[in-house]
Amino acid sequence: MAQKLKETILNPILKNNPITVLVLGICSSLAVTVQLKGAIVMALSVIVVTGLSSLVCSLLRNTIPNRVRIIVQLVVVALMVILVDQILKAGESTYAIDKQLSVYIGLIITNCIVMGRIEAFALGNKPIPSLLDGIANGVGYGLILIIVAFFRELLGSGTLFGLQVLPVSYIPNNLVILPPFALILLGCIIWVQRAFDKDLQEK
Amino acid sequence: MEYVSLFVKSIFVDNMIFAYFLGMCSYLAVSKNVKTANGLGLAVIFVLLFTLPINYLLNTYVLQPGALKWLGPQFAEVDLSFLSFIIFIAVIAAFVQVVEMVVEKFLPSLYSSLGIFLPLIAVNCAILGCSLFMQQRDFANIGEAAVYSLGSGIGWYLAIVCLAAIREKMSYCKIPKPLKGIGITFITVGLMGMAFMIFMGIQL
Amino acid sequence: MNTNSNVYTVIYTTIVVVVVAAVLAFTATRLRPAQDANAKAETLRQMMAAAQIKPTGELYAARNAEVLGIYSDNIAEAFTVDLQGRKVGELSTASGKIELVDKLKPQNTAIKAGEGATLPVYRFKSGITVVPVYGAGLWGPVWGYLALQSDGRTIAGAYFDHEGETPGLGAKIKDEPWFREQFVGKVIDLDASGNPFDIVKGGAGDDASKVDAITGATMTSKGLDQAIDVWISAYVPYLRTLTNSEEE
Repeated sequence: MAQKLKETILNPILKNNPITVLVLGICSSLAVTVQLKGAIVMALSVIVVTGLSSLVCSLLRNTIPNRVRIIVQLVVVALMVILVDQILKAGESTYAIDKQLSVYIGLIITNCIVMGRIEAFALGNKPIPSLLDGIANGVGYGLILIIVAFFRELLGSGTLFGLQVLPVSYIPNNLVILPPFALILLGCIIWVQRAFDKDLQEK
Repeated sequence: MEYVSLFVKSIFVDNMIFAYFLGMCSYLAVSKNVKTANGLGLAVIFVLLFTLPINYLLNTYVLQPGALKWLGPQFAEVDLSFLSFIIFIAVIAAFVQVVEMVVEKFLPSLYSSLGIFLPLIAVNCAILGCSLFMQQRDFANIGEAAVYSLGSGIGWYLAIVCLAAIREKMSYCKIPKPLKGIGITFITVGLMGMAFMIFMGIQL
Repeated sequence: MNTNSNVYTVIYTTIVVVVVAAVLAFTATRLRPAQDANAKAETLRQMMAAAQIKPTGELYAARNAEVLGIYSDNIAEAFTVDLQGRKVGELSTASGKIELVDKLKPQNTAIKAGEGATLPVYRFKSGITVVPVYGAGLWGPVWGYLALQSDGRTIAGAYFDHEGETPGLGAKIKDEPWFREQFVGKVIDLDASGNPFDIVKGGAGDDASKVDAITGATMTSKGLDQAIDVWISAYVPYLRTLTNSEEE
């Protein structure tokens, strides 16, 4: 049991990483990786949302009629994201946080990682492992996001977290902040990962 | 004439994959061979063509502020736009469910090769994205919305079939082992994306 | 229990839909007043940041109540004008019942239709006039506030915001101070019909009515350029009255 739990938590971070191995959640990883700060906000939100929605769907798993399961899952995910958004928007001190987050709301709802994990894991497992699986996948996703954002912000703006790191004489490479470069960078990350882990290589 | 320019623009200039990078997950995963890519592409066109006009009507007559005026003047102030996300996605998901059942019944071979990605059309960002673009572009009538959805669908279809064709050819190439499969695909799409940037900013 | 029967599926879906709609409607109506208060204070912050009443950071550090107070202390008058530049309504500025036109989308539709617009004008005691602009960016609406000197042409300050532009690209219209700062001192060309101001890719240089766009954010920059063109053109009849009274 303990062994299985450990696998549930560690697998999504490397061996079964949602982005580099399962190829889920690509759209958002292209959109939010221009700056490190945005990538971290997005990563945290996805961790919370995948964890919670996996938990709820796992609790409901025996009652959901098979034929409408996608609708029910999507409604659960969307409901939670919208609720969090509405509540944050109402508090005076949380309003500023919400303004930062509202950019990502649509991206989180349609993030395939959330749905993919519900389909593949939460519907067949108990609530606690589902919660952990959701969180672990969020972490695995966030890790790649942060790596990509690190290179894109460094080479594209010469900054990290908005602070100038490279000498001012460095001319920022505009290609790096365009989405195609994120794809090429992701390809290279996969290359590196698979060079170390031969099991993942495709024949 | 306006319809034609909207149509061409939504296929090439505002291409869902190469201009907005929406719907990437299924795009990358289901482009191994032209046949399945063809199936998924057609499914996307089909789903888009029906969901976007439905969402357009819902947005115009139910969701946007003041949309309920036709029920009577006392409803003129009602603003249901907070429901738009959930309604759009519910319409899409319901429609995908129908398509899934039809494909399972009549085309079992396609069903087994599309696997998990058929249900994932529901979270295909391209489809929800299209509905959200529709909401902010204020199309004048349902015809424009339908033309836009058809164009976007065809753009997505073209993109996935092109990539699948390239990937089929690539299986004869010598590619470093760790880069084989998904790795080189990412890089290919990146290069295709750069090529499509020539359309950026073209006014029709 | 057979969870695949038709009756069960229909009942289950109905319950889910009703519960979700109820929860959403309940939270939306209960939280609406608090959200509106936050949104109003936010609008005031952006307006006063554009009008350079106080530094942006200071305005954002202030609580909602203080922001309302600062506004009441500094505003001279607020009113609405139509597309011919005639004053059509008053907006209360007394603290406690400040009125704003913060729903810009219906006004945008009215401007495009060419009739029925009631555009807000906020005149501060410092002699600065603030007007809003609104349009579509890449993902959602973009809007902002332009502060004009008493001649109705020279820009004294600007502030821009957006709903969901890409962080690091389009979002720079709000996040990067250099973008709004380059508007200061530029001049609106009241005689260029339909295109009084330009946001261009590179090479704006010393041109009095041009600023630089943001690299990699073509659609956002274009959307903002359009927003300014459409809205400022709508204000031109009113702004001309300012210019004329200045010259007299």
